[in-house]
Formats: sequence, C-alpha cells, structure tokens
Amino acid sequence: MGTQISIFIQQIINGLKIGSVYALVALGYTMVYGIIKLINFAHGDFIMVGSYVLLYTIPIMVAGGLPAWMAVILAILACSAVGITVEKVAYKPVREKGTKMSALITAIAMSLFLENLAQTLFGASPKSLSTIFNFPNLEVGSTKLNGNTLLTIAIGVAMMIALQLFVKKTKMGKAMRAVSEDGEAAILMGINKNRTISITFAIGSALAAVASLMYCASYPQATPTLGSMLGLKAFIAAVLGGIGIIPGAMLGGIIIGLVESLTKAYIGTLTGGVITSAFSDAIVFGILIIVLIVKPAGILGKNVGEKV
Amino acid sequence: MKRKMVKKLIALVSAGAMTMAMLAGCGSTSDGSTAETTAAADGDSIVVGVISPNTGNLATYGESVLNGINLAVEEINAAGGVLGKNISIISYDDKADSTEGANAFNRLAGEGACAIIGSVTSGVTASLAPLADESQIVMITPTATADTITESDNYVFRSCFKDSYQGKMAAKFAAEKLGVKKVAVLYASGDAYSAGVRESFDAACSEYGLEIVAEESSSSTDDTEFSSQLTNIAASGAEFLFAPYYYNAAGPYIIPQARAAGFEGVIMGADGFDGTTESMLDDKTIYNNCYYTNHYSPDDTSEVVQTFVTAYSGKYGAKPNALAALAYDCAYMVKDAIEKAGSTDRTAIRDAMSGMSFEGVTGKFVLDETGTPEKSVAVIEFKDGEAVWNCTLD
Repeated sequence: MGTQISIFIQQIINGLKIGSVYALVALGYTMVYGIIKLINFAHGDFIMVGSYVLLYTIPIMVAGGLPAWMAVILAILACSAVGITVEKVAYKPVREKGTKMSALITAIAMSLFLENLAQTLFGASPKSLSTIFNFPNLEVGSTKLNGNTLLTIAIGVAMMIALQLFVKKTKMGKAMRAVSEDGEAAILMGINKNRTISITFAIGSALAAVASLMYCASYPQATPTLGSMLGLKAFIAAVLGGIGIIPGAMLGGIIIGLVESLTKAYIGTLTGGVITSAFSDAIVFGILIIVLIVKPAGILGKNVGEKV
Repeated sequence: MKRKMVKKLIALVSAGAMTMAMLAGCGSTSDGSTAETTAAADGDSIVVGVISPNTGNLATYGESVLNGINLAVEEINAAGGVLGKNISIISYDDKADSTEGANAFNRLAGEGACAIIGSVTSGVTASLAPLADESQIVMITPTATADTITESDNYVFRSCFKDSYQGKMAAKFAAEKLGVKKVAVLYASGDAYSAGVRESFDAACSEYGLEIVAEESSSSTDDTEFSSQLTNIAASGAEFLFAPYYYNAAGPYIIPQARAAGFEGVIMGADGFDGTTESMLDDKTIYNNCYYTNHYSPDDTSEVVQTFVTAYSGKYGAKPNALAALAYDCAYMVKDAIEKAGSTDRTAIRDAMSGMSFEGVTGKFVLDETGTPEKSVAVIEFKDGEAVWNCTLD
C-alpha cells in the first residue's frame, strides 16, 4: 500500500509538471480575452516563436558567459514584436470592419500562417535546445520533485499576482478595464483604445515568451507545431477556470494537468484495459464539452460584469 | 488526406491508361516484355530504372539510395556486367509524391527498363505497387518498410525487413542477449508504425518466454509528456522497456523522462530511434543502456560490410548509411535475378527473384512468398551519446 501511495504522489507531481506549463500559457489567453474579447488562437504559436528565439539565442548567452535563461529577455522582445505586428496587421483591420466571428477566424488563420512560416524558415525537422536550468531533484522518500516544475509554478503564481495588481491598481490597468467594459465610452473618457489594445497584446506575448522558456526547460525541443496542441489544452484550461479571469487560468491549468496525468496513470486499471492512457486527450477535450454545458462561465466565473 | 486520395486515384487511372496504350502499341496485350527487350537490345546494355526522391524534403534519402546503386552498378560493370552486357541506370525523381512517382514509373516502363529499384518512402511505393503488377515489371524497394507493401502484388519485392519484424527481433534480443524476464511496453496507439511493431513484439514475447508486466500507451508519437505512463512502468518492476517511437520523442522526452521516473533498466526501440543522437539532451549518460534495431551498421566488423564501407567512403567521402546499404543490395539482387533468369524478360526476372536467397551487406536472407526478406538485424547501442554497433541478430 505504501508504494501505491508514493506512486500516486508521483503521478500528482507529474500532473503539476505539465499543468504548471498549461497555467502559464492559459494566463496569456485569458489576459487578451479579458480586454478585447478575442480568443487569440495564435497564442500557442507565439510560444513556438519564443522557443525558436531561445533555440538560437541560448548558445549566444552561454558563449557570452551569461546564464542560459537570460535569453528569455530577447524572447520577450521578439514575441512582443510579433504579437503587436499580428495585432496591427491582422486583428485591428478586422476588428474595425468585421464581426467577432471574423476576428476569431482571423486568429485561426494567423495561427496557421505562423506555423507554416516557421516551417519554411526553420524546416520541419525538430531541433533540440540545450539545458536551461540545472536543478537537482527534490527527493522525499521515493518521490522526486523536479526543480523546473517548482519554478514554473512559482513563476505562474508570481505572474498571476503581478497581472492582477497591474490590472486592478495601475492607470494602464484601469484603461484596460474601461476598454473591456465599453470601448466607445472609454474613447470618450480620453483613453487611447488602440494603444491600450496594443499594450495588452504586448503583455500577452511577453507572457508567451516566459511560458516558452518554462516549456523548453521541461520539453527541450522546438518544432513548428509545438504550439498547436499546447495552445488548445491551455485554452481549455482558461475556459475551465473561467476565461477572462486571471486566477482562473492558473487554477484551470493545474486541474487540466492533473486530470491528464491521473487519467494516463489510472484509467487503464480502472476500466480493466477498455480505455487506455491513449485516451487522455479525449478526456481533456471532453472536459471542455462538459464545462460548456454545465457552467459555461467556468469554475471561477460568477461575476460576469467584472471580467478582466 | 482527401486531396491525396484523389491525386492518387487520378495517377492510377492515368497510369493504367498509359500502360494500356503502351501495351497496345506493342501489338500484344498480355506480354509486356516485347517493348523492353528490343529497347535493351538497341542500347546494347541492360536498363534498370531507379525512382527516388531526389529533390524536396527527403532529397537526402534519394541521394543515399542513388549513391548505393551507382556504386554497385559500377562494380558489376567493372566485373564484366550481366549476360555479357553492361547495366545502365535511368533515374527519375518522385519528389516523395505519388503522382510524380507514377509518372516516373510509366516513363521507365516506356524506356525499356527490365526492372525498377524504388521507391524510397512507403507511401509512394505503395501507390506504385499496382502499376508494377499491371505492367509486369519487377519493382524492388530498398527502404519501404510498411508491412502491406509486398502483400497484395506479384512483382514487388524489397531488400529491407518489414516494420513488424523488428518487434520480434527486439524480443529475441531481450531474451537471448540480455537475458531479461520482465518487460514493459510503451507505444503510440494512434500510429501505424508504433502499434504494428508493438503487436509483433507482444506476440514474440510468449515465444521467447518474456513476461509483459506493464503495457502503457500514448495517443500519438508527437506527445511530449510520458511521465505518468513511465512512472507506472518504473513501479512495475520491468527490467526492459520496449518503446517503438521516433527519434524526436525518444531523444528529448521518453528516455530522459523514463530515467527521471526512476526506470534504470534497458530501453529499446526500433529503427525510428535512428537519429536520436541528434536530439539528445546535454547529459548523454542517461542514454546509456538504450538500444535499437536497424538494417545495418557501418561499424559491423564482418568483411562484406567493411569492404562496402571502404569502397563507398572512397567514392563519396562519407560513411554509407542504412539507405545506401539497402540500395546497394537491391542492385545486386537485380543482377542476380537477371543472371538466374538468363534473359531480360520481365516475367522471367520476376520468377527468378521470387523466393531468391541472397547475401549482401545488410545480411543473408531468403525472400518469403510475399517478397519480403526475413533477415539479420543490426542492434545499435548508445554509449555516451554515440550510436555504436552492438551485435547482429540472425
């Protein structure tokens, strides 16, 4: 029985490892949705952009005697540039002319565009990144807790708090909430709507760059499509927690990670081998359907009026 | 996917129509060899066609295959050729595309090729197989490993083993060389290659007295997180893990995550592990005690292999990979078949190749009734980040 319990704890830790990455990615989704009510389906691909920037800048950092993670600064700059460009070139014209639906479709188009652009620029074959952090495992009995996982959770919580403070306490955050609530009225109050939206995108993309650092620390390989499945699952995490709600993204990410890990670990024995661990993705997407039927606003989504 | 199907269909229909036209032109509807015999006699050489991807994403595959064939043909001609004639090669590019492949095939059939070596990928080769049967030309592929390739046709052969055969050889290696008893399996249920190899491994386990103590799966080979499955495997007490995945999952994810989950035993894969050395993490020691099966290894100490490696590196300045070795063997198989047939009649070559026994750089084998060899397999081991030949299993 003792070993059963320690395996269970290890499976929880496995869930936290991937869940903490989902949480970081989901923060970016929720941030952008909270302000302009656009589900930025290209967010996962911003992470892909970030991982390629890291791929090429980490060796430069290491050669210059700096720690490898400093490359994230360049990744943040590159991702923000890509994010703002995508917003100005693709989303803004559509937002001004079209409906919400056409904006959503534009986001999907941008996602495909970025994936194919990366495939043309970097080739389809996967490329390996060098080690970013060298943490020793934290061992308690027979369970091992990876340092990357702890750091990812810590960064996620820190960013969650910082974002919450930024949105609630600063002037810029107030402008964002105003734009989110009523764009036209915000303009009348002297708020530069386009600038506010640009900054929102810059922050969302910077979050993607940080997420790509932590993703690459745990999964050190860059491919043009790495953002697509990751993005979808983080999107489900954001919806589960309540899209637009910053702590909800964190909660949703961790829950999705745990569900994924525990289904992979136990569904085979529980169902006598009828449903195997290969079904874990189906179960995660099943959660999305259940959430949309039972509680479309998400776990933390009660006060619709104050969504940020 | 659908577009591909339509393309394939168009290719097949047009290819069929062209073949019929060609046969009608020869004044014979059943004996397709008429056109070829005259063409070969005119040129005073025996024409062998090659179809391979020479441009596009897989261009390196085509290059290796052509290098292997050209080296073999050079050697054959220098030693006096076949039936008193030199072999000449006509090579066409299929760009790893079924339609291009069908065009290449029909051109070669029209230009009097008595046999065709190709193609390289399983996808293109599978779509050419019906054409080979229709125009009754022997087509021998060096590298298409999908199980079904040679099954439903009479004119298609190969010099490589089929995917599922590797599962059997991995079980044999585990039982006979490593002497393990308890094994675990991790495979991608949504991938034909991974699931196929796993099935043959499972079947062979009972034959070799191996007990499967854990079997886990992922939905695809593109997954990045296998820790949950590997934690269960580590806890199952298995001494050996069979994980038929590709290098892009093995290098950065499966092997490091297995070690992190506390699995210290042997990890083994199939030829999909080829290339793992390129995708390894910085700590190379975690890859020790990992093996995979492959068609051949240039480090194999046997004399045939070393002679081939020397000749190849002398000509091209690089060590031959498995594709070059398999293609080299293909060319010699065609030569043997023509010699045995005593003519360049396409049907006679088929009869000669069917069930032939052959010894080459990729092993000693007999073609089974479908045209696929049951042959020796090279086992490669990772040692501090290098892929090193371990042994060759018969």
